[in-house]
Amino acid sequence: MSVIVAGRALGLVVLVIIVSAILWFMMRAYSGKLPKLRRLPAVDIIDEIIGRCVEMGRPAWYLMDNVRMDTPSVLAPTVAAFQILAYVARSAARLGAKFFVPVTQGVAYTIANDIVEEAYRAEGKPEDFDPFGTVMYLPEGADRMYILNNMWSQQIAGAFLLGSWYHKAIIYTENAARVGAVMLGGTDTTHNIPFLVAVCDYSIIGEELYALGAYLSQDPTQSASLAGQDIGKFIAIIMMVLGAILATLGIDISSIFSI
Amino acid sequence: MSERLIKLKIPIYLTTILGILMIIEFYFPMPEPITNINVTLRSFVTIVSAAGLILGIIILTIAHLRKISKKESGWYYSIIYLVGLVITSALGLTSVRNTTFLWIYNNMTAPIGVALYSLTAFYITSAAYRVFRARNWNAAVLLVCAFIVFMMLIPVGAVIFPPVVPIGEWLRSYPSSAGFRGMIIGVSLGIIGLGVRVYTGRQKEHMGIREERMEAS
Repeated sequence: MSVIVAGRALGLVVLVIIVSAILWFMMRAYSGKLPKLRRLPAVDIIDEIIGRCVEMGRPAWYLMDNVRMDTPSVLAPTVAAFQILAYVARSAARLGAKFFVPVTQGVAYTIANDIVEEAYRAEGKPEDFDPFGTVMYLPEGADRMYILNNMWSQQIAGAFLLGSWYHKAIIYTENAARVGAVMLGGTDTTHNIPFLVAVCDYSIIGEELYALGAYLSQDPTQSASLAGQDIGKFIAIIMMVLGAILATLGIDISSIFSI
Repeated sequence: MSERLIKLKIPIYLTTILGILMIIEFYFPMPEPITNINVTLRSFVTIVSAAGLILGIIILTIAHLRKISKKESGWYYSIIYLVGLVITSALGLTSVRNTTFLWIYNNMTAPIGVALYSLTAFYITSAAYRVFRARNWNAAVLLVCAFIVFMMLIPVGAVIFPPVVPIGEWLRSYPSSAGFRGMIIGVSLGIIGLGVRVYTGRQKEHMGIREERMEAS
């Protein structure tokens, strides 16, 4: 019996290197040595969108589409979207925007509800939180009708479309654009990134979804973890260049992937 | 035990231990008892999801009842919800193979879902009309590439201008694929970073708990 499952040794080595790099940068942050990070433009845009909603007296919506937390590929972007929700909800509570978060799965609903409620408490405005209206559970399928109808009747002024997005991305963004809402969109679902980038006024692409949450947390150790991820990017670039050279020279090393 | 330990520390420890257990199982061959534990733990996810669904339905029903009692705008739609909930729940609890229950699903729920899904095509068209404008150099490149791929995909495109097929294929196979692979690498790294933050207890929002409240308590 082999020690490692066949074909996964290289992946394990790369995973260990990347995780070690992230932990190393987080440990450095504990001791006060913070890496220099570029400011994500989306950070300022969140407050801009909420501010616009307050000025216009119209609601801001936070939409997450697929939040099936029992599906691994959906779990990660949903958790990232929750972290951004914590910041957006606080911003909405602080500025006094009417805020609405529809959620289509029971577990995600309870989490989103707690996050938003805590955000209102943290801003000292628990009375502005409606336990039955600020975060609402909408069964999958019925959510599209409810959201499209209410987008028009409430004339939303701002929308955040973050998390794991599928076909609803284009339906919601197009309707939100027609009612004049300013949108921030971001997903890691590669085939839907183009829709959100094309239709939304502002967008975060792919990994920025994960980076934004860490950046907004105002926790230096979380921000520092982003620098650790860059080590992974360097590894990927080196491997791509090396692979291109070896392929050009006709050297086949694909057998190492089966170790 | 303090509230902090129960609501914050124990869930973080559980997340870390169980998460690492799943990762170890992925990379290393495990004895059958440990594999069985992991399978059982994964089945817990389904049970917790079902419990969450019940809670969600209760909250939604309360919201609709409140809407009816306050005669809010569109309150009569809430009556339809309640009637639908009672009928389908009663039929479903009797038997999910009940012909009336299946009839409702096949002839009411499914067609509405499909009809809404089909709207995607129209929204993509209208979005494309609005987005594909050569407002600047980048948008112009996007417009030209989209037009070439569009012409490649429609049958008449190859008849009008045959070179559009190899050019379109090249665009999809090289620049587009390269871009997507870059995104996939970035997303994978982002997920690893997220995992480390969650397992080290730095990121807690997924538990619906904010550190401020716990410290305040």
